[in-house]
Amino acid sequence: MKEEPPRVARLHAILWGIFSIGGMVAAFFLPVLIYLTGIAYPFRLWPFDGSKDAGSLVTGHLLGTLFVFVTIAGSLFHGIYRFFQSVLTEVGLLRFKRGLASLGYLIIIIGILVLGYYLLVLNPGILKF
Amino acid sequence: MTENKRFPELRRKLTPGWWTSNGHYTQYMIREWTSLFVAVFSLVYIYGLSLWVTGSRSAFLDLLKNPGMIAFSFVALIFTLYHATTWFYLLGQVVPVKIGKTTSKPWQALVVNVVLLLVISYLAIWLLVLR
Repeated sequence: MKEEPPRVARLHAILWGIFSIGGMVAAFFLPVLIYLTGIAYPFRLWPFDGSKDAGSLVTGHLLGTLFVFVTIAGSLFHGIYRFFQSVLTEVGLLRFKRGLASLGYLIIIIGILVLGYYLLVLNPGILKF
Repeated sequence: MTENKRFPELRRKLTPGWWTSNGHYTQYMIREWTSLFVAVFSLVYIYGLSLWVTGSRSAFLDLLKNPGMIAFSFVALIFTLYHATTWFYLLGQVVPVKIGKTTSKPWQALVVNVVLLLVISYLAIWLLVLR
């Protein structure tokens, strides 16, 4: 009879999978979002010529809203997971590993829910699809 | 006497600054610290959206024009690009691609993914701003 992996190991594998996807999202999508919102828009650099602002990424197009959600949610998961479970435990807080992991997940869950809520409020048309 | 007691595990006590003792460890920790900038930028972006939802669109845009936010964005962009390049290199080490008798090297994965990053970035700009 084939033995099933313990539930904890399966959950751990799923979380690692999401962490890896978040790493890909942060690597491929986050630099361009930071450039557009944090550098190009305030300095009016390419591609901003005054006809659009950084808010148009959020409300201008459904793809933009999806881009912001995937980028911020994926980066938040990856960044918090890595910082709370790797960095903090390796600078002397290993004995608080479980507590730090729980706090990290709490920030991730609340952050993603709040992000989704804000994007829905700013794009009420999404719910009509 | 059991095997474990004859050869007890010798655990070296790590100090909070253990990663400064070796160049490889330092590089590893810098790579891990990039996650802080990834996380903080995400949280600040969500905070900016909260200003928009509870106030106005200009409150969100004013946050982006704040000198402190601009300075943080520059630093975050540098660390995010560092995260991206080290992540691509790591991908090449963890999942090398085998074509015929040759196996890809990590630097090849880095080059291919950096090109992909540039293409994706341009596509995102074209789709979301230029179109």
